[in-house]
Amino acid sequence: MKLRGTVAAALASAGILLAGWQTGTQVNGISTVASSTTATGTTGATGSGSSGAGSSGAGSSGAAGSSGPTGSSSTSGSSGSSGTSGSSSSSGSGSSSGSGTYKGNTVQTRFGPVQVQITVANGKITDVTALQLTNTDGKSIQISNRAAPLLRSKVLAAQSANVQTVSGATITSNAYLTSLQAAIDAANL
Amino acid sequence: MQRTSNPLVGAGKTILKARTFECMGTVIGLTMPVDFLTEGQPGLVELAAATAVVERLFHELDETFSLYRPDSEASRLARGELKLPQASARMRERYAEAHEWRLRTEGAFTPERPDGVLDLSGIIKGHAIGEAGTSLLALGRGDWCLNAGGDVLVSGSPHPGTAEPWKAGIVDSADRRTLITGYALGGNSPHTAIATSGSAERGEHIWRVGSSAEFIQVTVAAADIVTADVLATAIVAGGTRMLDRAAGGWDVAVLAIRADGSMLATPGFQPA
Repeated sequence: MKLRGTVAAALASAGILLAGWQTGTQVNGISTVASSTTATGTTGATGSGSSGAGSSGAGSSGAAGSSGPTGSSSTSGSSGSSGTSGSSSSSGSGSSSGSGTYKGNTVQTRFGPVQVQITVANGKITDVTALQLTNTDGKSIQISNRAAPLLRSKVLAAQSANVQTVSGATITSNAYLTSLQAAIDAANL
Repeated sequence: MQRTSNPLVGAGKTILKARTFECMGTVIGLTMPVDFLTEGQPGLVELAAATAVVERLFHELDETFSLYRPDSEASRLARGELKLPQASARMRERYAEAHEWRLRTEGAFTPERPDGVLDLSGIIKGHAIGEAGTSLLALGRGDWCLNAGGDVLVSGSPHPGTAEPWKAGIVDSADRRTLITGYALGGNSPHTAIATSGSAERGEHIWRVGSSAEFIQVTVAAADIVTADVLATAIVAGGTRMLDRAAGGWDVAVLAIRADGSMLATPGFQPA
């Protein structure tokens, strides 16, 4: 019970951290918000993000705090599943002294799915790792806004006479004197 | 530093007027449509007053954050005479903001130099521009274009009362005197800010993540100037990977130029 409490607390904190991070990084409302791993941890609904990377930690893993390990570790704490099958299983060694690794739910962020794993040894958390921070297949990229090659010949070059301002790498006061922007400013003096 | 000029022109319709001043090692210019004849429309007096407000704001921030001023709070922090917990609230706020951007960009943008010295210059100019914009709106000015050394924030339109956007030219990295393309800001465009970073940028506050710079110039248009500025810097540092991340995670338009002159652009910069 103590172990489960610890795990629950740890996953909850991780969840809160992620949630906080998530909130903090919200810019211009890309639809990423996900609920975090919760303290009660029954299922911890997974991300509602559009890019449907599933929640590996999903599924009702039973009693308190075991949202991470989807194995049967909810009862005795002495078994622990053997963590061989893919991402969603816990690899806890599950001795009653409380050791093993536990994974939280996958949470959708703007950078892709994030999943936190904690390592517990003798009832204490010894490590917290982010298992997935990005998806390398680019699923999180909005396809509609991808960058593509642009040929100079295809760009209708803007004429300085047709613009009201100029964007360029930061220039010094001296460089300003010979810049297009200075010419435009002078014309508007 | 303000330059003034003679109000000779004007016949009931607005014309663009600009005022410039020097700060943060570069030149900042405020451009507004002014109307000499119509009652209630901003004229040169209003432009001068607005510029004075912007200039004061920039100088105040520069006094706190400049690493070129030995007596600034930033310099005292850099020398270790002051610790962050004892720093002013505005310093800690910018530090927190910069660190948040470091997380969002996976380290491509960072507020620390390789030697460990805190350097917020990558975020201060954008912050100053944004604050200046807020002040201009508070002054009741709705149509203006603020350009600080090539980073631009606009409001409204160059032709008051219309939805016509401001048009920003993008400097050609190969020839500073020519424009490579343009981008519409404000008006009916979703983006009001645009910023450009170069790998040869003054101050060298771009610390590359990889070994060599893939892009020599990156322009980002966004709904706010700090986002545009930070992401442009981050993409110069982080290359295509950061470009994809920015294009996918933010509502931005990106134009990136490689050393060989080839370009990558999101749809916002692609010709229609």
